[in-house]
Amino acid sequence: MIEFDREEKRMVLKLVFYGPALSGKTTNLLRLHDLLAREGRGELMVLDTRDDRTIFFDLLPFFLVTPGGLKIKLKVYTVPGQVKHDATRKAVLQRADGVAFIADSRLSETANNYSSFENLEKNLAFVGIDIETVPLVIQFNKRDLSEIVPETDIERLWRPTGIPVFMASALQGWGVVETFGRLVELTYDAVDRKWGLREGYGLEREEFVRRLTLREQGR
Amino acid sequence: MNEDREGAGGIEYVVGAEKRLCEILGDEEIMPILRSALRAGVSRIEVRDSKGRVLWACGDPTGGGGRAREVAPLCLEGEPAGSIMVEIPSSGRLRLRDFTGLLSEVMNTMITNNLKRMLTAEIHTTVVDQTHEELIETNRRLRASESRYRELAESLDRKVQERTEELKRIHTRLIQQEKAASIGLLAAGVAHEINTPLGFISSNLNTLKRYMSRFTEMLDFYRRIVGEAGDGVAEEAAKKWSDLKLGFVVRDVGELISQSLDGAERVRRIVADLKGFSHVDDSKEDVVDLNTEIERTFSVLAHEIPEDAEIERDYGSLPGFLCDPALVCQVFLNIILNSLQAKKGGLKLHVSTRFAGGDITVAFTDNGPGIPDDIRGRIFEPFFTTKDVGEGTGLGLTVTRDIVTAYGGDIEVESRPGAGTTFLVRLPAEGGRDVEVR
Ligand SMILES: Nc1nc2c(ncn2[C@@H]2O[C@H](COP(=O)(O)OP(=O)(O)OP(=O)(O)O)[C@@H](O)[C@H]2O)c(=O)[nH]1
Ligand SMILES: Nc1ncnc2c1ncn2[C@@H]1O[C@H](COP(=O)(O)OP(=O)(O)OP(=O)(O)O)[C@@H](O)[C@H]1O
Ligand SMILES: [Mg+2]
Ligand SMILES: [Mg+2]
Repeated sequence: MIEFDREEKRMVLKLVFYGPALSGKTTNLLRLHDLLAREGRGELMVLDTRDDRTIFFDLLPFFLVTPGGLKIKLKVYTVPGQVKHDATRKAVLQRADGVAFIADSRLSETANNYSSFENLEKNLAFVGIDIETVPLVIQFNKRDLSEIVPETDIERLWRPTGIPVFMASALQGWGVVETFGRLVELTYDAVDRKWGLREGYGLEREEFVRRLTLREQGR
Repeated sequence: MNEDREGAGGIEYVVGAEKRLCEILGDEEIMPILRSALRAGVSRIEVRDSKGRVLWACGDPTGGGGRAREVAPLCLEGEPAGSIMVEIPSSGRLRLRDFTGLLSEVMNTMITNNLKRMLTAEIHTTVVDQTHEELIETNRRLRASESRYRELAESLDRKVQERTEELKRIHTRLIQQEKAASIGLLAAGVAHEINTPLGFISSNLNTLKRYMSRFTEMLDFYRRIVGEAGDGVAEEAAKKWSDLKLGFVVRDVGELISQSLDGAERVRRIVADLKGFSHVDDSKEDVVDLNTEIERTFSVLAHEIPEDAEIERDYGSLPGFLCDPALVCQVFLNIILNSLQAKKGGLKLHVSTRFAGGDITVAFTDNGPGIPDDIRGRIFEPFFTTKDVGEGTGLGLTVTRDIVTAYGGDIEVESRPGAGTTFLVRLPAEGGRDVEVR
């Protein structure tokens, strides 16, 4: 959480899309921007890129006001996946309220997925976030391609961890909102436990998720 | 602002902290737009924050009636952050809604772009700062581990030095022991060789003494008989007796044999001393009188002590001292030898022993050349010697001190160049117990 101002009744939450280089983090954000309703979200900010690879981060902000008058801003960031930008990843990961790990389904990327996940564990520890309790979802992206890790393998591997896993093709636009929706749900639970969103501000979980995953007409 | 900093992990960089409109937009970019709006025919234009406070304004505020007004929202990351208000004269030719829409579009784009620029700068400095701090931290850790290694290396150095010293000491002792052992062995061998002939020399001398008394008895008997004979026989015998000086011979022969027996006895004692000194037979701890041990040492050295040397003994009465006698003899031997070597002619060596305050002190004072100041501090060092190769190994005093300290005592040297040297050995009378000397 970046900010919570009780007097101003204003809360700023931060979600981070993490993952190896070229796994489709930026594409996920682009899709969310296209698919979700204009109302209640800001413009997608894609900070400087080099050859389409993120150097700093991308940012998609959402804004909503609860029935109890609490203003909530939700900022969704992507990190640069390239190994060399680790300092930036740490900086972006500071005080995150939830993390979506975007894995690349291609068989050739298995090793990269692992080392990126390890990097996530290390950096969460570095910024003082407990990986056991932080809201976390995993997305296996690029399911539209062949030569990908079979779903059964993924299931077998990740089921025991209890981390929700989603199949997606950010390119084709499916699985993206589902991934985001689940992360929002988990984040709501965590924030509600701590600050009482339902009791204090009349915000139900379903309403929170609905408002943030509202589709643009016809999408 | 009541910020919740939980989960920050003590790190202060936060990218994308909330900003207000007035932080994102500046006079220099807003005012030209407002002025050109005025030139386009607007009578009043205002930019307000989310609470309705005017941030920038242009044109005549007291418009009163006859004006049309339009308001359009300004958004910051999807959140209403303020508004733009435009008034035109009702008579004007401007299409108010389109114009306001255009202006808000321009400003919203400006807001987004500025925000992007600010975020870029922010993340950039954050990363640079963070990397810098990490570097400093890494550097600090490196330095810490380096100093740890240096400490380790230093203590290693010290340990190596200590071990070396210890090895040197052991080595020294071994050499000396070997020396002593070989001397002892030699002495024991010689002693054994001497003992056998010495045995029959003394026993034969004793037999000879008995035989001689028979001879003289018989001689006396003959002299009496012959002294009474006539025909000049008595005179001839008396002349022969005195020619052969038999009167003297008969008196002297007993003396000669006694002296020889004394000599043999002295040889026997020396041999016994030699064996006692080498302690080949026994190297057990024993309660000894140190005065006796000093004497024993002198007798071993008898052949080394020149005729003209004067040894002055001033022995106090001492309590028994529990020790390995071979070792304390070595202490005395080394000190006495040094004096003998230091003053070849006209040596005066004064030895005194005392018992006071639970300590036995033994002082050896010679009238040698003394020890120069600049080497006095080094004489106890292993292998320190001023003597020619072959004459001194430089181990004498080292071993001496080792033995003395092993018995809980100490040794001091006093010396004035030209005025002789004193070695003072102090041994606690009870200190010898429980100490193992190797
Ligand atoms: N086939 C396929 N390609 C995808 C999919 N998602 C992303 N891509 C492609 O993968 C490439 C990288 O996508 P990005 O979204 O830029 O990847 P990123 O994770 O942001 O990469 P970095 O910013 O370097 O970390 C682009 O060419 C995308 O078009 C997908 O679901 N299927
Ligand atoms: N009584 C003394 N008078 C003058 N110098 C002495 C006397 N005793 C010792 N020294 C000096 O101290 C040095 C060291 O003595 P130390 O007995 O340790 O070795 P050393 O006599 O040279 O050789 P080693 O005794 O091993 O045959 C001697 O070389 C000598 O210079
Ligand atoms: Mg990217
Ligand atoms: Mg010597």
